[in-house]
Amino acid sequence: MLKFNNVCFSYQQDTLIHDVSFHIQEGEFAALIGENGAGKSTISKLCNGLLKPKTGDVLIQGQNTKTTKSSMLARSVGYLFQNPDRQICQNTIRGEIMFGLSYILKDQALCEKRCDRIIEQFQFRGEQDPFHLSRGERQRVALASILVCEPKLLILDEPTTGLDYRECVQIMELVRELHRAGTTIMMITHDMELVQDYADRVLVLNEGRLIGDGACEEVMTDMALLRRASVLPAQIPMLAMELGTTFHGVYSVNDMAERIHELQQRRA
Amino acid sequence: MHTPMIHIENLNFQYKQGQDFALKDISLDIAKGEFVGIIGSSGAGKTSFTCALNGMIPHHYAGDFYGAVTINGMDTVEVKPVELSRFIGSVFQDVDAQMVATIVEDEILFGLENFQIPHEEIEERIQTALETIGISHLRNRTISTLSGGQKQKVAIAAMIALRPQLLILDEPTGELDPAGSRQIFEMLRILNQQYHMTIVIVEQKIMLLCEYVRRLLVFHEGRIEYDGQTRMVLEHKEELEKLGVNVPRMITLADTLKKRGCHIDTVPVSIAEAKKMVEEVLIHA
Repeated sequence: MLKFNNVCFSYQQDTLIHDVSFHIQEGEFAALIGENGAGKSTISKLCNGLLKPKTGDVLIQGQNTKTTKSSMLARSVGYLFQNPDRQICQNTIRGEIMFGLSYILKDQALCEKRCDRIIEQFQFRGEQDPFHLSRGERQRVALASILVCEPKLLILDEPTTGLDYRECVQIMELVRELHRAGTTIMMITHDMELVQDYADRVLVLNEGRLIGDGACEEVMTDMALLRRASVLPAQIPMLAMELGTTFHGVYSVNDMAERIHELQQRRA
Repeated sequence: MHTPMIHIENLNFQYKQGQDFALKDISLDIAKGEFVGIIGSSGAGKTSFTCALNGMIPHHYAGDFYGAVTINGMDTVEVKPVELSRFIGSVFQDVDAQMVATIVEDEILFGLENFQIPHEEIEERIQTALETIGISHLRNRTISTLSGGQKQKVAIAAMIALRPQLLILDEPTGELDPAGSRQIFEMLRILNQQYHMTIVIVEQKIMLLCEYVRRLLVFHEGRIEYDGQTRMVLEHKEELEKLGVNVPRMITLADTLKKRGCHIDTVPVSIAEAKKMVEEVLIHA
């Protein structure tokens, strides 16, 4: 679905991305983690052709982003910005949802039909002004306007920043449904609990270099790797590490409760 | 008698265009030197509450204001916000709305000059503020070239250079990564413990918040639903979740263990406490 082959990128002199290679298979849910300035957003913009690599290649479904128009790539890649206000540009929810869709789908009747369906699914009022909604609601509008285009690959740049817990769960459950339906997901986040709850693969970025890539459980419990990336582990893996080797590999609240239970039985 | 830093009596406030009261029946005291955290879902009244503390409500935001807010003995309705700003520092959610200068140094200088801090004192104040926040290297940078996180640090540095007695922060770590957010909290702890600054902070990152604040207020639909010692409030895991408030995973762990029949004295608010909790559960097995 998505291939980075020896990708380097620089805005001016400073190289921001150093020789990054990875392949994301269709249907994967990958998280990209690293501290502020590690190059996460740059990678995500390379994923949809907004930025082109200086050397190396990025391939989306076999298409090289250097030689394919961004408008063509936009048909298969959806990008949810961290701040929905960078993306919303229309006065009504309906207009917003139709905006991108009408570019990639010329059949007006079909556009309307898809738009109706998504408005119903999200329970929006189509004529409402998105800017009168709360931040969380605007994030849902932005997401809906991407989903209506039925992207094969969805890139989420910190999808839950600025949202409260309830809004966060609402957005992420939608993303989970999409993933189950076969959409490939690439999510940038600082929230390791979000990574733990949703992703199945984690890429670790540090100073523009890929320093880790593996299954979620593996990466989330690799304290040395996370430390190198200046990433704070989630609470339960951190607690497991503090508790020592008997808790090796413990990763969720349930894991922890189970392990404690086993140890209690052994002692009894 | 000790005057509390903040004294609020039956505060009710409705914005001019608002359909409902944004703040309802709020009464509380916050003593000098307290470190108080505020949580709650969006629209719960957290930001309105901080605006009622620094006088933005009712001076800047018009509406129906009932009750009384007294800060350091001064009634916020009677005193102008500029008078209050002499001892209250506020860091807003939207840092860009707060910045007035183009260069970091000037941003910090702005408040100091406005408050007529003597010239010989200014350099030391700027340096200390930058060092405390760990951004001395950004002193001559143009603000528009900084990252969101760096801007947040500049906003906080500008506030602490004024050495306020009360510091109010509304989601100051929104743009920061976990390490950067922790740095801010470490710094707030120093301001609170060494400089006895009273701190009121709204924060979504509840895990971090609970590790640092001693008192927690939970807002819901304009009311304060819970007000108490952090760990006492966190005991109400299920009720908090109903209010749309996430609780730290170690609280969920404590809750799960309790349900499985383990004896848990108090809920943990740090990794060290969680470790102790698990060890004790195992000893008693």
